[in-house]
This record gives sequence, C-alpha cells and structure tokens, in this order.
Amino acid sequence: MIRVLVVDDETPARDKLRRWLAEQADLSVVGECADGLEAAASIASLQPDAVFLDIQMPGLSGLEVAAQLEPAHAPLIVFVTAFDEHAIKAFDLNAVDYLLKPYDKDRLIKTLERLRSRRGNAVAGGASPGDVAIRTARAQTGASGRLLVPQGEQLQLIDASSVHWLEADDNYVHVHTAQARYMLRRTLSDLLEQLGERFVRIHKSVAVNLSEVKSLSPLFKGDHEVHMRGGAVLRMSRRYKDELFGRMGR
Amino acid sequence: MKGNRALLALWALFWLLMIAVEIQDNYGDRGIQWWEPYLWEGSSCFAATLWLLVERRAADHWNQYLAQPWQWFARHLAWMPIVIVTFIAAIYGIRHGIYALTTETYEHEPWSFIFMYESIKLVLFAGLWLGIIFGLESFARWRHEREQLLTLQKHLAESQLAQLRAQLQPHFLFNALNTISSLMQVDVERADRLLTRLADLLRSSLQASSRNTTSLREELKLLELYAQIMQERFTDHVTLNWKIAEDALDTPIPPMLLQPLLENAFKHGVERSRRPVNIQVTAEKHGDELRVTIFNSDSTLSAEPSSGIGLRNCRERLEVLYRGRASLRLEPHDSGVAARLALPVNPS
Repeated sequence: MIRVLVVDDETPARDKLRRWLAEQADLSVVGECADGLEAAASIASLQPDAVFLDIQMPGLSGLEVAAQLEPAHAPLIVFVTAFDEHAIKAFDLNAVDYLLKPYDKDRLIKTLERLRSRRGNAVAGGASPGDVAIRTARAQTGASGRLLVPQGEQLQLIDASSVHWLEADDNYVHVHTAQARYMLRRTLSDLLEQLGERFVRIHKSVAVNLSEVKSLSPLFKGDHEVHMRGGAVLRMSRRYKDELFGRMGR
Repeated sequence: MKGNRALLALWALFWLLMIAVEIQDNYGDRGIQWWEPYLWEGSSCFAATLWLLVERRAADHWNQYLAQPWQWFARHLAWMPIVIVTFIAAIYGIRHGIYALTTETYEHEPWSFIFMYESIKLVLFAGLWLGIIFGLESFARWRHEREQLLTLQKHLAESQLAQLRAQLQPHFLFNALNTISSLMQVDVERADRLLTRLADLLRSSLQASSRNTTSLREELKLLELYAQIMQERFTDHVTLNWKIAEDALDTPIPPMLLQPLLENAFKHGVERSRRPVNIQVTAEKHGDELRVTIFNSDSTLSAEPSSGIGLRNCRERLEVLYRGRASLRLEPHDSGVAARLALPVNPS
C-alpha cells in the first residue's frame, strides 16, 4: 500500500485528486493539507510514501516545503502546478515528477505509473526516492533562504540570515539565533547544503554564518578561536581553516 | 527652404547697408557723380551674388561636411583664389565698361594695390558669410534631425504601448481552468457558471486590448468578472468591497490598466495569506483627477522584493501616455497594501 499525502490550497482541487486517488487499489490517502506549513508538519508526523505537492500556496510554497526535507528520509514528491515555466524547466531537466493543472484522469494515471516504478526502484536499490525532487527544489528556492524550525508543537519559519551558528549533536542540529535555540532532526551536511553559501563549517560538528563572525584568534597548532558577534566563542579546527579564510577573503 | 530665405534677406540687408555706407562716404563730394557709388557697390554686389548662387547650387555637396566644420570651411576656402580673380576681373570690367559709356573716367589705385586690397576684403567678407551660411545650415540640419527624432520617438512610444498593453496572465488562466476542472467533478452548475465568466472575461479583455481608451465603467465590468472568478477559487477566503463614485464612471482610461493591480491584490494578498483577506476598490473624481485605490489586507510591501512585471508595465504605460501627469504608488495601509492610481480626467 502506498500512503499518499495531498497538498493543495484549493478545496475543489484536493477533492478531485482525493476522489481519483481513492479509485486506485494500491493507494490510500492518509492526509490532506491546505498550505505549506501544514504540509511540512504532516510530512513529519504521517511519514507518507508519496506527496502530491501543489507549488503555489500561501505561507510556504510547495518548492519551499520540499527544500526543507532531508533527502535521505523524504517521501516521493510529485509537484503539482498550473503555471510555473521556471520550475517546470528544472523538473524536466532533472526528471522530477510533476502534474500540470488542469489534468485529466489519463494524465494522473500515467503519473501514478511513474510513481509506482520509481518507488519500486527505490525500494530495490535502497536509494532515497525523493532525492532529486528535493535537490531541484533547493536549487529553485536557493535565494529565498528560509528555514523551517520546530517551535513547541508547531513549525515556524525563520530567516536563514538570522541564524548565527549551527551545532551537530547526534541525530540533531542545534540552530542558534540571537534569541533562541532550535533543535532540528537533520544532519549538519544536509542543512548546510540547503542553506548554501552563507554558512561555512569550522569544525566537524560546527558551522557559522559568515556575516556573524566578529574576529579570529589563533591557538596552538593552527587551531583558532572564532568570536561571534553574539558573544559565543567557537573552536575552529585547522582542517577547516583554509575554507573559512578563503571565504572571508583573506 | 527656410534657411535660404533667411540667407537671402540677410544678403539683401547687407548690400543695402554697403551701398548706404558708400553713398554716405561720398556725400557732398563735388567731384563724384550721384550714380558712381551705386555702380561701385552694385558691381561688387552683382559679382558676389553670382558666387553666392554658385555656392548655394552646390549646397548638398557642402552639407555632407557639416558634421566636420574644419572640412566644410577648408573646402570652401579652397575656391578663394578663383573667386578672387574672377571677382576682381568682373567688377573692374563692369565699372570700366560703364564709365566708358559716360564722359567720366574711372580713377583707381594701381592694379597691384587693388589686387591686394580686394583680396583681403574678399577673404574677410567670405569668412563672415561662410560663418553665417554654416550657422544657418547647421541649424536647419539640427531642426530636421530633431523632427526625425520626434517622429521616431512617437513611433517608438506607440510600439512600446502595444507591447505594454496588459493581457491576462497565463498564470491566472491556467489556475482558473484548473478550478473549473476540479469543480466540475462535484458541482456541474457552478463549474459551468465559472466557465461562462471566464469566457466573458476573455471576450472583454480581447475587446479591450484592441482599443486605445475605455471608460472606467467598462474597466470595472472587467474587474468584476475577474473578481468573481477569483472568488470562486478562494470561496471563504476573500471579501470584496466596491466604492465607486457615480460621476467617475465615464472617465476615459487606458484599457486593462486596473486589472493587473487587482491581480496583484489577489496574488500578494489572497494567494499568500492563510487568513481571510479583504479587497477594496474605490474610485472618485478629485478636481480634474481620477483617483483609484485598490487595497488588500494582510500583506506587506517589503515581502515583495521583485514587485512584478505587471506593476512595472502599468507605470511605463502611464509614463508613455500621460508624461508625468499620472502616478501609481504602492504603500502600506492598515496592515495591508494600497495601490493608489491618479490619472488626469482630460487626457491629451
């Protein structure tokens, strides 16, 4: 059984998709969401096998939802869009599944066939099925730089530029901002990949926002102390020295 | 040519002055007959005029050097030797001929002096007149080029307008089609109604884009159709208020000018918000200005870094059509955004 999540901000659109998916014997719709934040929360809690993800939604777009997911544990993603030339070009280029609105039943069935075979391949090969879609979404939303973090029971969007530094801790990453610390169940490498250029690793388990670095002071054997504008003092191992210096223009 | 007429007038004035000065110089001189000054200046005038005509006949030839003044003058001055020789030969020939018909004798300085004296005078006067001709020709050329530029700009403005002329965005059309396709699974009549609205809107917008002006009344009809379709899509999500002053309805406005503004209100207000959004459209006459405001609640300006093509198009259209007499501003207002448009009531 393939467990499917349906995400679209328009009720009639969700109704149609749910109705047609219900006709498929091997599919079950496990949830419906009307916006991006809800979708991100439901993907985390329901762990569906596949998501039909509308791109154009209030709050958080479908592309942004996908960009926040960790490829290793992500569901299969089928983007649904009425008109988005830019994204569609990228989907075609990277063979990401998408459904163009409006669609008829034949088209949906073709998409479902592709989805089944993709899932079969993934299960057989052990690879993550959502990988390409997520990387494509990240490339598309790259500049927007927003990060979804848990806040109590809910998810919240924060600006990537407000993050001062990141610290890996087992299966979690602590996200430090001026006011708060958030805990994300992600790997540091994947988070860095999502956040892009702005951040640089200074230690196996620590990365800093370049614009938040105040000064560096040398320690023994090429190690350095990194003083952050917010007051934190972090240790940089010499392995990462060159990259930081290079990026800071030294 | 206007330039030539001005030149002719100046030329006539110049020679009248020369004759007057010559007469005044010899006034009261008993040894000189009354007609002599006329003959002296008249013969000079005759020879000089012939050369001027020659120069003017070849005006097109000289004009190609207008952009390089040194060339223009040098090529003229290259003719000076032949002008000097023919000029002196002509005027003294005429003068001696006429004197021979009378009882008077023409007395003048020796030829070597005459040649020097006349040469210098000719070069000076030729320089003066070449300066005048050059000025007039350059002015005529400048005016001609400016006229060409103006027509060019007018054509450019027209084609720009044609390009800027707003059209329904594909984004909107595909979304509306999708809503219909979804709706018809559950409510055929509603889907049918929506399809009819969409057809009406397409028809109106096609008509609108073939015209140069429309009235506020017509434009509002189009807006209402658009709003109805969007309301079907976002049923409980949006409320619309219209406050339109009766006396504003017949104001002429460019077609499809307001639609992109309403579309923005939906795009940045309704489509991006999770709360119900209110959209208000107001139009009123204020002196000889038409003021239209489209307000949507629940959005901010700063959140839109690349404030779309639609808005830029509107601004460019206003600039081409009204040249600074119309304005379009976006500003935060009551936890939302207001687009404020002001147009002169009397275009032209």
